[in-house]
Amino acid sequence: MLKKIVIKVLMLVILLTGLNFVYNLTQYKRDLIDKCEQIVEIKNTQDSTDIFYFAESSNFNVRETDSIQNSISEITGFFFPSLKLTSINKPATHAGIYKEWLKNINVEKNKPKAIVVTLNLRSFDAAWIHSKLETQLQESVVLIQPFPNIINRFLLSLQAFENKTDEQRDADMQNDWRTTQLVFPFDFKYKTVRDWDVSYGQYGWDMPDGLPEKNKILLTCHYIKAYAFNLNENNPRIKDFDEIVGWCDKNKVNLYLNLLAENIEYADSLVGKELVFLMKQNRDYLVKRYSKNNCVVVDNLEKVKGLEFTDQTWTTEHYGYKGRMIIAKNLADSLSKQFSKQYKKAY
Amino acid sequence: MLFNSLHFLIFLPIVVGLYYLLPQKFRWILIFFASCYFYMVFVPKYILILFLIIIIDYISALTIERVNGRLKLFYLIASLSANIGLLAFFKYFNFFNENLVSVFSLFGKEFHPLNLNIILPIGLSFHTFQSMSYTIEVYRGKQKAETHLGYFANYVLFFPQMVAGPIERYETLGNELKTVHKPLYQNFSDGFKLILFGLFIKMTVADNIAPYVNQIYAEPLKYNSLQVLLSVFLFSFQIYADFFGYSTIALGSAKLLGINVMDNFKTPYLSKSVSEFWTRWHISLSTWFRDYLYIPLGGNRVTIPRWSLNILIVFIVSGLWHGANWTFVAWGALHGLMLLLERYFSKLFKFEIKNRWSFLNVVLVLKTFIITSFIWIFFRAESFQKAKEIFKSIFNNHSVEPVNLNVLYALLFTGLIVLFDAFLYNSRLDSKLNSYKTPYRWAFYALLLFCLMTLSGTQKFTFIYFQF
Repeated sequence: MLKKIVIKVLMLVILLTGLNFVYNLTQYKRDLIDKCEQIVEIKNTQDSTDIFYFAESSNFNVRETDSIQNSISEITGFFFPSLKLTSINKPATHAGIYKEWLKNINVEKNKPKAIVVTLNLRSFDAAWIHSKLETQLQESVVLIQPFPNIINRFLLSLQAFENKTDEQRDADMQNDWRTTQLVFPFDFKYKTVRDWDVSYGQYGWDMPDGLPEKNKILLTCHYIKAYAFNLNENNPRIKDFDEIVGWCDKNKVNLYLNLLAENIEYADSLVGKELVFLMKQNRDYLVKRYSKNNCVVVDNLEKVKGLEFTDQTWTTEHYGYKGRMIIAKNLADSLSKQFSKQYKKAY
Repeated sequence: MLFNSLHFLIFLPIVVGLYYLLPQKFRWILIFFASCYFYMVFVPKYILILFLIIIIDYISALTIERVNGRLKLFYLIASLSANIGLLAFFKYFNFFNENLVSVFSLFGKEFHPLNLNIILPIGLSFHTFQSMSYTIEVYRGKQKAETHLGYFANYVLFFPQMVAGPIERYETLGNELKTVHKPLYQNFSDGFKLILFGLFIKMTVADNIAPYVNQIYAEPLKYNSLQVLLSVFLFSFQIYADFFGYSTIALGSAKLLGINVMDNFKTPYLSKSVSEFWTRWHISLSTWFRDYLYIPLGGNRVTIPRWSLNILIVFIVSGLWHGANWTFVAWGALHGLMLLLERYFSKLFKFEIKNRWSFLNVVLVLKTFIITSFIWIFFRAESFQKAKEIFKSIFNNHSVEPVNLNVLYALLFTGLIVLFDAFLYNSRLDSKLNSYKTPYRWAFYALLLFCLMTLSGTQKFTFIYFQF
């Protein structure tokens, strides 16, 4: 019986190898475009690319009334006209997804000279880590796992990825807010995000007629939930970014962490100095942890004024032209140290 | 645990491997823990309900066997009441309250029922029915009460069929679980074939049809008549592929352990009448209702009006078994009515269906398919309002501009399952395939594997029958 089983298993392996070949020829690319078009973009453009610019929605959201509609990556590119800067964008992306994209750059074929990874502080918070969008993001990288493509496609059908329900994700997020202790070097009455959030939710602003100013309270609570956390090495996104740094180190590619600007003015006026303290502390943590070897942290955290944010009622990192220009210029300044010969003053 | 998950594809070989490594006297322990684990992956705490059912029916059966006369009946009724009580509480409590509110409002009164946030434990209707069949058989003296609690527990818990059937009898599954099974090549071969085929029809056929059907059933009034009509027919294939797929994987998984589980489907859409459909669709449930409801009600050895009533009762209860909603009751009642109409017509015109293929039979098959498809509307629609919208769209929305929907794969795989059904008519995949030479068999595997691994749906759809 054992001999028969071994023969059948071998036949199955041969069959699967053949089917994998047929799949690669016929459908793989279509599936990849369907689930993760960014990977196809990387593969298609890597031969001619000098700098890859990985970004989330900050790179394709502009203010409608702006006379100049260029994205941050396009403006950065103007400073280096002789270099090919390719931007790869996907909404709500974070370090955990960027690290998967990186693995698809064939360094043997053509190594990019630099990689810019755009991150915002919120992508390290519990709301983003346990976001409902995470399922879709995780699904998008199944097809590029290190298995034969036909196996990856089957894993996709089996939903073999972190595929929690919305309810589970919500419960995890609430749990984080309830249990993670906030650390301050000074006395502060709220020990968790939940305490802080509930306090503002209940005792927020009142309008002149005495009714609560709901929108303002909502925005304030959102600021607390988005930025009240202490970054440390246990944060999953820190672990992800460590992997990105490791990949760049191993492949001798310069890495730029383009840390986006946040609306510090609003955080201060709505919540107060304690929240701003945490935001700056987390920025300092990133700068300290990653400003070494071939990695540069481009710190934009406080560079953009409150009114330059296109969404005045939420915490998105979407900027008007001036804001995009400031970030692009700041990034270009950092890149100019590596690409001094190619740098041209554009503005 | 879902059959169509990586978790299960890892779990099953481990259980099978350990099963054959263990001596027979320890195997029941493995099956017990494996089954508990399988179930607890869904909602761990609900295993306690299963344990309660097991304990009640285990003790009841032993007691029923020991006592005589009226006491015997008393213990049977007590056992059945406990089972039905559990089912009623978890499945029908909210439904009952909703209806009470409606009744009170009819008389202009307000009624505020106790609002319990009850979630129906997966497969509860299946466990209770399986367990009840055992106590009834012991009461009838056709089955000896099981003294080994572990074996009885495994009869209720056996993981391949615990959450969506087939609903087995103790006489078969109980004995199969006790038999010493040696690792046989043929069992492995047949088991894998069945699992492969089951996964294919669930993941490739049903899950490719589901997005189209779901989209149309969500807002039927938005779509063109033909599109809605197509979704009605496609749902017939979706539910078939979904449930047949589950049952086939269950058969295959049990087969790997050397255990035979009954067939639950025999090409139902090739039935020439509604009554034949019910001998081919969800066979284990149909035979359960036949043995434990229809025959005790008098079966067909009664007057025609009484027999008609019996048929209607059985189908209405069957509808209610499926779900706590009046739409399910309507679904069951319509099947009962169609069956009665068929019988009356065949008697009136002395019409007899010959069991061979002819043009007339093809017409009859199509007629039965169309009737069952239209009745499925009540099964699929969440409410009568939605069912009404479906009918309204089919008959009124001719002029609505068709919405661009991707239906190619749904149609392609529906065509494929029709071909498979024609191929498998009145036989099971494993035995049918074994009659072909190796190259043909492997060509078939290659086709199934390719479709399964590269063309399966990528959205998560649990098995439809899990909700029951």
